[in-house]
This record gives sequence, C-alpha cells and structure tokens, in this order.
Amino acid sequence: MYTMQAVAGPTQTDTPLFAMTGICKTFGVQQVLRDVAFDLRAGEVHVLAGENGAGKSTLMRILGGIILADHGHSHVNGSEVLFRNPRDAANSGVAIIHQELSLVGPMSVADNLFLGHESSTAGWLHQTGTAQRTRDVLSRVSLRIDPRRAVDSLPISSQQLVEIAKALALDAQIIVMDEPTSALSEPEVRNLFARIADLKSQGCGIIYITHRLEEIYTIADRISVLRDGALVATRDRSDLPPDELVRLMVGRSISDQAPRRTVTCNDLRLRVQHCTVRATRAGVPPIVSDVSFDVRRGEILGVVGLEGSGVSELLWATFGALANRATSEITIDGQRIRINSPRDAIDAGIALVTNDRKRTGLILGMDIVQNATLAALPQLSPFTWLNHSAETSLASQSTQQLSLRAASMRQHVSTLSGGNQQKVVLAKWMGTNPRVLLLDDPTRGVDVGAKHEIYLLMNQWSEQGRSIVFSSSEWPELLQVSDRIIVMHRGRIVASFEGGAATPADLLRAAMGSTRDE
Amino acid sequence: MRHAFTRTILVSLVLLALSVTGCKKSTPTSNAGPTNASPGAKVSYTIGMSQCNLGEPWRVQMNDDVRKAAEAHPEIKMIFKDAQNDTLKQRSHVEEFVSAGVDLIIISPKEAQPLTEPVAKAMQAGIPVIVLDRRVLGDEYTCFIGADNKLIGRKAGEWIVQTLGGKGNVVELEGLMTSTPGQDRHSGFRDAIKGSDINIIFEADMKWLEPDARKEMESALSRFDNIDLVYAHNDPGAHGAYLATQAAGRADKIKFVGIDALPQEGVVYVKQGILAATFQYPTGGTEAIDMALKILQGETVPKEITLGSRVFTKDNVDTGGDPI
Amino acid sequence: MAPSDERTGWRARLTSPTATALFALCFVLLIGLIFSGDGAFYKWSTHRDALRQASVYGILACGMTFVIITAGIDLSVGSVLALVAVAFSILSIHKDWSPWLTIPACVAIGAACGATSGAVIAKLRIQPFIVTLAMMVFARGLAKTISGGMKVSTAMQRPDGSWTAAPVPDIFKAIDSRLLGDNISVVSLIFIACIIVSWIILARLRWGRYLYAIGGNEEAARLSGVPVVAMKILAYSLAGAFSAVAGLCQAAQEQQGDPEAGIGYELTAIAIVVIGGTNLMGGRGGIGLTLLGTLTIGYLDKILSVNAVPEASRLMLTGVIIIVAVLLQRRKD
Repeated sequence: MYTMQAVAGPTQTDTPLFAMTGICKTFGVQQVLRDVAFDLRAGEVHVLAGENGAGKSTLMRILGGIILADHGHSHVNGSEVLFRNPRDAANSGVAIIHQELSLVGPMSVADNLFLGHESSTAGWLHQTGTAQRTRDVLSRVSLRIDPRRAVDSLPISSQQLVEIAKALALDAQIIVMDEPTSALSEPEVRNLFARIADLKSQGCGIIYITHRLEEIYTIADRISVLRDGALVATRDRSDLPPDELVRLMVGRSISDQAPRRTVTCNDLRLRVQHCTVRATRAGVPPIVSDVSFDVRRGEILGVVGLEGSGVSELLWATFGALANRATSEITIDGQRIRINSPRDAIDAGIALVTNDRKRTGLILGMDIVQNATLAALPQLSPFTWLNHSAETSLASQSTQQLSLRAASMRQHVSTLSGGNQQKVVLAKWMGTNPRVLLLDDPTRGVDVGAKHEIYLLMNQWSEQGRSIVFSSSEWPELLQVSDRIIVMHRGRIVASFEGGAATPADLLRAAMGSTRDE
Repeated sequence: MRHAFTRTILVSLVLLALSVTGCKKSTPTSNAGPTNASPGAKVSYTIGMSQCNLGEPWRVQMNDDVRKAAEAHPEIKMIFKDAQNDTLKQRSHVEEFVSAGVDLIIISPKEAQPLTEPVAKAMQAGIPVIVLDRRVLGDEYTCFIGADNKLIGRKAGEWIVQTLGGKGNVVELEGLMTSTPGQDRHSGFRDAIKGSDINIIFEADMKWLEPDARKEMESALSRFDNIDLVYAHNDPGAHGAYLATQAAGRADKIKFVGIDALPQEGVVYVKQGILAATFQYPTGGTEAIDMALKILQGETVPKEITLGSRVFTKDNVDTGGDPI
Repeated sequence: MAPSDERTGWRARLTSPTATALFALCFVLLIGLIFSGDGAFYKWSTHRDALRQASVYGILACGMTFVIITAGIDLSVGSVLALVAVAFSILSIHKDWSPWLTIPACVAIGAACGATSGAVIAKLRIQPFIVTLAMMVFARGLAKTISGGMKVSTAMQRPDGSWTAAPVPDIFKAIDSRLLGDNISVVSLIFIACIIVSWIILARLRWGRYLYAIGGNEEAARLSGVPVVAMKILAYSLAGAFSAVAGLCQAAQEQQGDPEAGIGYELTAIAIVVIGGTNLMGGRGGIGLTLLGTLTIGYLDKILSVNAVPEASRLMLTGVIIIVAVLLQRRKD
C-alpha cells in the first residue's frame, strides 16, 4: 500500500470542480479581499501563495462557510452555491484541514470519522456497515491502524491522515490543506505528499497553502498569488519560476514611514548561543533549533520570518518565558547569565514586548499607572509595601517620554486606543530601564501616526545605547529601521543582511527557504 | 488545553473511586461472615446491623447501644454496615446479609418505601428482621422497635405546662420542619399546651443546628423582653439558645428544654444546669438485642414495641432520670 | 467605541461597584426599617447580633476574596473551618494547651491546607474547582477522624462510664464575649481586624497588586515578572488561614468543635464576595466590597429572622434578593 505514486498531471475537464468569482470582503474599513476569482480543477493541487495578511485565510474561511463574502459567486461542478455555514460547505463536498486538527482526541478513529454523520436507523448505529466504511476510507489514505484506537494515541502525522480520511468519509472532493506540514518530520511529509497524489488520482481537487518554496515546487500543479487582498496571478507551475513568484508576492510600494538614522554600533551587548525551543508535542521537529545571534550596544537587529518560522519563540526563549522547553546560553555585556523566568530576564535588563498586547501585554482591567509599573514594582515597593506616589511619578515620567495621550493616569487601559495601549506596554518596559529590548511586531494594529512615533522612539533608545531586537510583519519598514537583519526559516537562521543592503524580495526568498543564488 | 482537560477527568475519577471505596467500608466488629453452629458447642448467632447513617451522634449512640448489649452475650457476633445516608446502598447491604446467610437482621432504614421489598425478601429467605426507629411498609418484618416522637413532644409539653404553672411566653426552636421527627415533636407539643395560657411568641426552624438556634434566639431576645421558656426540638438547639441568652445576660430568667438526652450531650447540659429538662429519645439498641435473642431462641415477640422515654431534670439526673 | 467617561463624573460614581454594593445594602436596610420585627430593628443589640452572626461568614469571605481576585475559587473553606474548630477544641479543652500556642497552631493548620491546594493548582495546573473540592472532602474527613466522628465538647466520660462537664476554656469565653460596654462582640472585632489585614494586603502590598494582575491576565502578569506560582499559593494559604480564624470563632461560639460544622458555608462566602461586586472572572473587586457584601447578607438573614419568616419563604426571599442585588450592580459596559 505504501507505494509512492508519480505526481499525476492535471486532468483537464471543461467545468472546474469549484470556482469563485468577484469575491469581495471588508472588515470594518479595511478591504481584505478585492474581486478575487479562483478556481480548482478535479485532480489538481492548486497552491495559494501570499505574504502574511495577503488574504489567504479569509478566502478559505469564505470557502469553508465560516464567514460570508460581501459580494461574489461560488460554483461547485458548474452549479451556483452559497455557503451560509460550515455544514453547507461540507454538504457540497468541501473539507478544510486546519493546522490545528479538529478531531476529538479521546474518541476512537472510527467514531471520529463519522462524528455527526453516523449511519443509523432510528438512533440505532449500524455497527457492521460502519466498520466496513471505516476500512474503506482508511485504506484510501493508506493508513493501517486499528480504528478502535483513540485518536490522541496516534502520532500527529497519522492524526492528519485521519482528518483527511474524515473528509473522504463525507465524500469531500474539494480539500483545503492549510500548512499541513508545519508539524511534520521529513519522512512524514513524503508520506503526506504520496497520499495527496492518491487523492488526485481519485479525482479530488486540493487547495494547498504553504510558506515553503520547496514544497510549492514539489507539489503544485498551478499556483495563485494573493497580494493585499487581490489575486495577482494564476499560472501553471512551469510558467512561474521561483523568482517571479516572490516578485509577485512582494510587489508593493514601500512606504516611507520609518525614519533613517545614524548610530554607531559599538561593543557586544547580547549574545545568544545554541537557542533551541522544543515543540509542545513529542516527535515534532523543534520550533527553534540551535540558533545563535549577537546584538551590539545601540544596534537594532531585525529578525524576519514567516508564520511558524520560530521568530516569536526565539524572542520568548531569550526572555526566559519558555523556560520548560527552551535551552540557550545567554551572555550580556560579557557576563554569562542564567535566565529561567521572565523575572530573571527583567533583572538582567531585558524587556519583551509581545505581538499581542491584549493577550500577553496588558492587564486590561487595571489603570495606566498599575500597568506601567507592573514590571518595575519590586524596586518601587521596599519590603513589599507599595509607594503610590513613587508609582505615579515613575508612570508619568515614562508615559510622558512616549507622549501618551490619556485623560487621566487612572484611566483603565481597556479604554485606550491601540496605539496608546502599545505605549503603555512600552512605558512598562522603559520603567525597568532595560539594556536589551526584544520587540515582537510592536507596530501591529496601531495607526500610522503611532507607528511613526514608535520608530522614532526606537531610534532614540538606540542612541541611548540600548540594544533592540526587532521583528515586524512589515518588512519594508523593518528594512529601513534595522542595522542588520537575520532571516529565519523552519526554526533556523537561513540568511543575514546588512540594513539597507536587502530588498523585501530578498527577505521573502530567504524566508521561504530558497537557497540563495548568488 | 486538552491536557488540562484530561487531567481534570483523571482527578475526578480518582476522587470518585476514593469516595466509592470509602463507602464500601463496612465495620465488622467481630468475624465477618456467618459461622455455622457446631453441634454440641454453644449456639452461635450472627446478626447483621444495617445503619442508614452514622453522621448523626444519635445513630452513633444507637450502634454503641447495640454493640454494648451484644457484648454481654458471647454467643452473638455482630456485623455493622453504614449506608451513609444512601438508600440504594442500604438496600444492597440487606441483600448482602441475606446472601451471607446471617441468622438475623437489624435494620434502621433510611426510607420506608425502597427498603420494604429487600426486608420482605429477607423474611422470605427465612431470616427474621427487626426494624429500628423508622418503619417499612406492610407487615413483612418480625418486630418493629421505635420511640414515639409525638408522644415525647406531648410529654415535654405537659412538663412545660406544669413547670410554668399553666401560663407563660415560650419560644419554640424547631428541628427541620420537612422531617417527620420535627413535625411530630412540634404537633405533640402543641397538643399538650392546648387549653393552657401558654403563648408561643416566637417560632423558627433552626434545622437541628446549634449556630442557627443561637441566631434565631438572638432575634427572639431582641424582640421580646418577657420570655419564660425555650422549647427546642433537640439538645444542641436548646444549648445554642442558652448561649445567646447567656450573652444577653438573661439566662437566669429563662428555662431551656431539649429533646434527645444523649449521655454526653443533653444529660451533661442538665447536670451543668444549662437545661431545665431534656427528654430522652431512646435508640432501642438494647431492646433490639433482647428481642433478637428471644426470636433466635424460638420465642414469640410482639410485632410492635414502642419505647418508653425518660425525663432528665436537675433533681433526677444523677439517678439516671425518671421514666415517663 | 465611544469615548467612555472615566470614573470622574457623578454618573460614573453612581455606577461604580462600591456605590451599587452600598445601594444593595441600603435596600436591605430599608426592608429592615419597614419590617422591623416589633421595633427590634431599632435596637442596637439587634445590629450588634447581626454583625456577630455575619462575622464567621465574613471572615471566610475575606479569604475567599483573595482567591476569587486571582480568578480562582476555594470550596474547602467550610471544611477547613470544621477541622480547625475540632483541633482548637481538642487542644483547648482536652489537652490544656495555652492559647498562645493553640491559636498559632490552628491558623497554621488552615494555612497549610490552603498552601497544599494552592501548590497543586499553581504547579500542576489543575482547576481550582476540582482541587479545592478534593480538599473540602479531605479536610472534612480529617476533622471526623481526629474527633472520632463526635462533637468535641466539654463533656467528659468518667472511668465508670458516666458523663461530666469540664469547664469551658477561658479562651472560648474571651472570643465569645463583648467589649465596649457590651456593645460589640469580640468575633465582630476579629472580623473587622480581618478586613483591615486583607485591605492592607490587597491595597498596600505588592502581593495584592500581583494577585489582581494574575486574575486580570495571568500570562501578561507572568511576562511582567510576577511570580505567579508563589502568589497563587499565597492566595490559597490566606484563604486557609482566614478559614482557620473563622473556625476559632465558630468553636468558641459553640463551646465545642463540631466536625459537621460549616457545611455549605463556602457557598455563603462566595455569595458574599459576588454580591459585594468582586468579579468571579478575577482581577476586579476589593475587600471593601466584601465588607458591604457581608453586611448585606448578614442583615438580610437578621431581618428574616426577627420577623420570624418561615424557612420555606426565607429560602425563596433570599434567592430573589440575591438576584436583585446582583442585577443592581451589573455594570453597563
């Protein structure tokens, strides 16, 4: 059963299996999809490529019936359909296999396959018929396991195949796979690709989303590129060389929001060596594997990577926030230090601004002063006794430097705008007078004005001699602000550039795992 | 998340398992299982005792009385089981006694209806059954032994009428009024004071609990300046009322009457001068063993035995109270 | 999002948790003024007694406040109360220990129970509900074990089998007495002391700030250097220690240690905290609110009692009034 089949070419049919035209979607004032047309043929793998935020996941949520498009039409096998909910989509043969699997872990494989669609008469389950169908669909994905086993006792790769088998059990023909290889080892990936080839030969169409260049060119029959919510190209694989693909994905105007600056970077400040972060599940490759990097005094180091590349985890691990699954050797100003907890990191002069201020940055129910002093509280409260006036003066001092706009220092942070909330987070860390700032996408979800201010502040801090490790989803700006940039792919540093010497396309090519062709 | 969930399930299961094994624990005081009488030697009897709940001191006392009475007869071996206030558990305890082939069963049932059939089944298997304190339905049992709460309530009422000289202000602190003993101790008392000039100026449900009795008594004290006597449906209730009154500095003006007269509780309160009187609610433990011996030796016994009560007052407490 | 007026205007002040909790209390007091139980409600002694009988619940609620602020729950407070009441009675009545030794030992027992729950919750990351449920069952069992299943009272058995009463220990009498010209119960003063200690911890100490931070957003607190594990253990230890203080008061007032004492008290303590306005989701609330909640529940209980309302109606009225009080203070977000 486990034979590798040759990847079959696309079978040409007149009507596509699935087609969408004129799809538009707006969230608030932001248009995330503009007039997108997309189709899928039976027996093909159609790769959907695009940068973070290009609109891929919104498009797939519309396909899956999770959200409704504002405009546009969908057709399955030539007849028009409207998916009002996930069940409509499933009934039309659409199955979406997410990165986070949607199986019920403690239940058996067989029960999972037919969950919600059990074959029964008047509530009485058809045991023998179900067993036969279970064997059928499992053999279609070449999975030889006991269907009575609990799903969570299986390795993640087998769980994924169960998920695919579940789609087949519902007669799905349109299968969406969202980054299916992110948690798989190399042999498991090869097995998955062989199963995808089987599905193609059985007449299924597969929409495949990935950030990995090598996967695109192993598996794709056709490639569509989304950029800023618009579909910019759909071509056969052979007509779209990698360089062209990257150019199509990036091709956006570079804004001039980030000011340039001139700072001389001096002595070595932070050295991180052999940083490794294990995945939460056993048997999965580490999220960060053996990464080492240096930052000098006053330097801004940009760190770049696509989703799942391990950039955030690298910053969290450096801050001691992943103590139970991360290992690294950290030296600050020539001194070897042990960091087992965020407290250790704060005491060593490190600060971490996370990329999600509501979940991991702020205590929304507290006021500005309490948030702004939380990290520096031990210095402000000798013998644990709080000193309210010292707190207020530290908070006013650090928020004034950031020109925070608030009616009162006792305002709850939940009532502040995104930009001002981010300034409260920054104020909290400036209150600890850090030597090293780890900024994970600090301009996410803030308006243009606040963004500009944050870049100015970063310049100011680097002039004060602080070191900054900076990651951002907005690469043009990152390119302008950073003195040096390292690029991560699958948990490793794959390239590094001097600031100003690289283009967004260079970064993207490296971040997708392309070996540089110089 | 999934891990946290699994762990919760695991912990719940462990807890459940613990409580189940805890429940199964019965307390055999002598050899478990029946021993057949060896010919020629002294006749040996095994008696199974099924108690509905050992959480109440009075029922602990009942088991103690049974145990003490049985210890006086070396030919009796007792097996005690505690149903922990669970009807179904008590049902299976009776069935276990039947299949173990005990010579006699004493049961103090939790509820009448669900335990009627298991008792009847035991009778059909040829095992005599003595029912203690609470009844089962029908007549398929050998002998019922119980006290009469209504009678005790009436005796308390009569004593109070006599003590107060036929008139006065009384506070009644009731036991749980959804329970039969509470209702009977109330209605018997009310029957007895009918026609006298005794006024019930304040009544409240203290749910058999001392802290609640104290709380209710405080309210009565702040409302009424003239209270002559407090009648509480159990001794802890009377004691709680006393503590409230003592704190208000009015303990010398008010008398307290309780029910139950457990040796370490109500009787001691009378000795201390806290209670003017307490009326015994007998457990019937001693009588049960007496009847058991008669039944086992082939004598006929009455179908119904109503236990007499005793009153304990300052005058007779040292001599063991007087029968009423 | 409209620019919401901050807690500066009179309107905002009227809808603050403190104002609504105060309003609920006034509502209950108004009921008392109308249904005064033949004027009993106008006597100081009624208020003194209302405060006395609410004190044990209030002390439990102080400990519960810490735990609820961290978004946790402690179901074991009633059982810990019983365990300490039994231990206190055994040591004071039967072992003749000095109060200077007995009281710290009893508080330590309570704190140890809480610390155990807290350590399991924080380190093994098991839900507080299930851990404290286990502690509730365990502490009750331990109380029954050390008491032999019987109330530990001053009654003592002589060698001949008859019973006699030992004197009530002085420490019991001291706790169950009144001061200031018979105008306030010592247990009420203990409750007020607990409120003050709790206020200092929550409003004046770094620990208190950390408890709020953990309840508001545990992950953000951890990333800001808050020692989450230690602080959670602290919260549950405080709940245990306050339950122990409540247990001392309970034993002294009953003049005995009842292993069945405190059944259902955890629910009253939770109700007090919630009626005060402390959020079960954690991060918001305070000890002042718990004081107001204690008075609201305590007075409600007292008013129903002086009016001799039958038990069945009491239960229904209590349910209705709790819902009304909670609805009154639902915040219009």
